[in-house]
Amino acid sequence: MGIALVKSAGLTDVGLKREGNEDSFSIDERLNLYIVADGMGGHLAGEVASRTAVDLINKSYRKWKSSETSEEAIFGWPDASLSRNGNYILGGIQLANKVIHEMATYHKEYKGMGTTIAVLAIIPGLVISANAGDSPIYMIRNGRIEKISKDHNFVAEQVEMGLMTEEEAAESPMKHVLTKNLGSYEDLDPDIFEIEPANNDRFILCSDGLTDLVTDDEILQMVEGEKEPEVLCRNFIDLALKRGGHDNTTVVTVSLSGTGKPKTGPIRKIGALLADISTAMRKK
Amino acid sequence: MERLVLTFNKQIINRYSFNKDNLTIGRKPENDVQIDNLAVSGHHARIDRTGNDFILTDLQSTNGTFVNHKQIVSHTLKHGDNIQIGKHVLLFLASEKQEAGAEEPAKEPDLDKTMILDTAKQRELLAKQGKPGTAVPAASEKTGVLSALGGSNLGEIELTKKLTRIGKADTSEIRLSGMMMGATVATISKRPSGYTIASTGGRTKIKVNGKVIHESAPLKDFDTIEIGSHKFQFYQKESK
Repeated sequence: MGIALVKSAGLTDVGLKREGNEDSFSIDERLNLYIVADGMGGHLAGEVASRTAVDLINKSYRKWKSSETSEEAIFGWPDASLSRNGNYILGGIQLANKVIHEMATYHKEYKGMGTTIAVLAIIPGLVISANAGDSPIYMIRNGRIEKISKDHNFVAEQVEMGLMTEEEAAESPMKHVLTKNLGSYEDLDPDIFEIEPANNDRFILCSDGLTDLVTDDEILQMVEGEKEPEVLCRNFIDLALKRGGHDNTTVVTVSLSGTGKPKTGPIRKIGALLADISTAMRKK
Repeated sequence: MERLVLTFNKQIINRYSFNKDNLTIGRKPENDVQIDNLAVSGHHARIDRTGNDFILTDLQSTNGTFVNHKQIVSHTLKHGDNIQIGKHVLLFLASEKQEAGAEEPAKEPDLDKTMILDTAKQRELLAKQGKPGTAVPAASEKTGVLSALGGSNLGEIELTKKLTRIGKADTSEIRLSGMMMGATVATISKRPSGYTIASTGGRTKIKVNGKVIHESAPLKDFDTIEIGSHKFQFYQKESK
């Protein structure tokens, strides 16, 4: 099954309250890899952590994918429940975690730094969603919005264990306390999901600067109301700023069309060409 | 007191306290930490207290001892170290005092800012909130199972992959035969919300509890699934 056409865009904004932007993102329509990272740690360390994570996951995924590296040869221990590409993502996240952890351990200026990660990879017949921390990934399909990432924060885990209700969680001051991130520990066990793609799927990856201020239903309505990825990103950032912009906000949007059936060579080429033409807004 | 937590597949199996100066790990019953698995040597490793340190030593075991994925011969344990022995993981937890002293959290943390939480802080926060069960329970992983109904010889099929493809194709995780069976007729994915079955839009009918599925449907325990002429019951069991 081929991916006929993918359109994507990404945008980040420092917001109205913070001095620096510690978020990083990347979009790569050739590789079909989309990443958002929300860094933490003072004096630019958060920015270093999020940028390092995005770069390393991009590089390792590209390298392993292009050489069709076997699962045994990639970084870390493969997970038998995942596809080979899923393991490339897993390995890339674990590698980035290790590097950031070592930087934070051995360099005083990086002490305590860490970052969340949200990764979306699309390959023929498969959508891979991976994350650690609380930067969510949404899938919008057939008029419904579904979170295809897991929030690794204190309240989300309390809710999962049945110790807290959704209502209590929404009010809790603890909702920014992360239980998983890249950098704090030598080992990391991110959550990875693999889903079959469908025609016209749309995906949103963002930092919590957006989801703190905009509800899932609002995200759904905004996605349904705007086809152009660049405009959609701008709309999200504008809404977050309008509501106070208390944090750095980053949004990456990805739209698929015509994933369902095998495509012949020429059509795939036109798809790739169109994907190249659709430009991506880069940070700054 | 320092503790060891024995886990397998993220499930806690047992907890051990260091109430003496050494502790042995192995398959044979005379070990303090007995792990009944063939990947584990009879006398696999030991931990000795020397002053305030705890030193883990591999006893020339067949399959080796790993700490945080690195093979070791001997290693001074730190709070939070993962000791891998075969497929089992022993988590080393330093004493409460050491944990607290390791890194003092700010007195008035800015909770609007994203913070990082370790399990020691988590327990502390839980205790403060007056919630029951101060130990952090491992979220139980469940594995979906398709149980073939109606005289099929397919038996019980565990959904061990994040995405299971069902159809005639060789690449399908579950291969089904039949005149009308397509190459891939349905997929079952494990998502944050649970297992979801999706039709791939071919001519083979997919039904859940008798209703035809055109796109996708969440699966609940004991749902019946019909894929062409094949019939299954879905349920979830605790992962071992």
